[in-house]
Amino acid sequence: MSKQARMASLKRWPGWLLMLGVAVALVLIGTLRDGAARTETDRVDSITKRIACPVCSGESVFESRNAASVNIHNKVEDLVREGRLNDSEIIATLQEDSSAQLLLVPKRSGLDALVWALPVAAGVVAFAGLGLAFRKWVRTEDAVPTDDDRALVDAARGGDPVDVDSPGPDSQVTT
Amino acid sequence: MASRRRIAPWIALAVGAVVAFLFVILASAKNDTTETAATPLLGKTAPAARGTTLDGDEWDLTRRKGSWVVLNFFQSSCVPCKEEHPELVRFAEQQAALGADGAELYTIVFSDDSPEAARKFFEDNGGDWPVILDERGSIGVSFGVNQVPETWIVSPGGVIVYRTIAKVTADTLSAQVQQFREATQ
Repeated sequence: MSKQARMASLKRWPGWLLMLGVAVALVLIGTLRDGAARTETDRVDSITKRIACPVCSGESVFESRNAASVNIHNKVEDLVREGRLNDSEIIATLQEDSSAQLLLVPKRSGLDALVWALPVAAGVVAFAGLGLAFRKWVRTEDAVPTDDDRALVDAARGGDPVDVDSPGPDSQVTT
Repeated sequence: MASRRRIAPWIALAVGAVVAFLFVILASAKNDTTETAATPLLGKTAPAARGTTLDGDEWDLTRRKGSWVVLNFFQSSCVPCKEEHPELVRFAEQQAALGADGAELYTIVFSDDSPEAARKFFEDNGGDWPVILDERGSIGVSFGVNQVPETWIVSPGGVIVYRTIAKVTADTLSAQVQQFREATQ
């Protein structure tokens, strides 16, 4: 890589660093944000949105008006009012008694974890691929023609091979 | 170009492997819409179940320890429940004939049924065993009941030994209770 190319590459870094900083800051704000105090109703809504209606397809207990969902909603209300269990423990308690898959969102363990891991893996592979492609394009800029390349060009021009290393006063290489 | 040709089959192979893997997962996945009588509660102590009978008396499952208990989850507007009811009447008669050894039958009224509708159903169709109101559905949720009818058998020790999500007949239910009774003697 020439000195000029290296300088150009360095000049691009602040932009990338800024973007990286903004991305990290947004992720941190999103994950560490301390939400306002939740009321019992907020908790019930939040929990029932995570539980699947056991007899309907694709609906949460929060949305469904089915009797089974209404029963689960009531049970969640009772458990929240008791105040002994946190949200995850309430869901686990309900799941313990049920033969149906109650979790609307897949677990982060076992085979279910693939649902979370595969998109991340795909993202990593995609970024790695992009990185490789960019590197290849950058390298192409600095490419030095080989003897084979020169022979090809000469053949295309139909003339004699030109010695570009010691050009005469009249000779000029065009690409 | 040559290196590209060498990489292409490997990429195709990797994509094919991922697709095949996903296909195997989907093909072997459990169908969530299939109802099953399997329950994590089988062999465990029955969950707390308290309610009020149609007569206004307090009812608590734990106080039934010492007897075989049959719980039938029911709703007056449910067609299979209506079809099953004469069999439950016969089952109650069979168990009453056994005297103190007979199982106790209780109907748990599913939450979205009104007490008036349940009372009228029993007046019209017979059945003099206790009918428990589960107004907030807590008994149903504790037992993981999502649809009716369902029938459960609880041992004298308070352990769940049987669950069926199909309509029962008097003879099969009596035979089932007798089988458990003999197994524990």
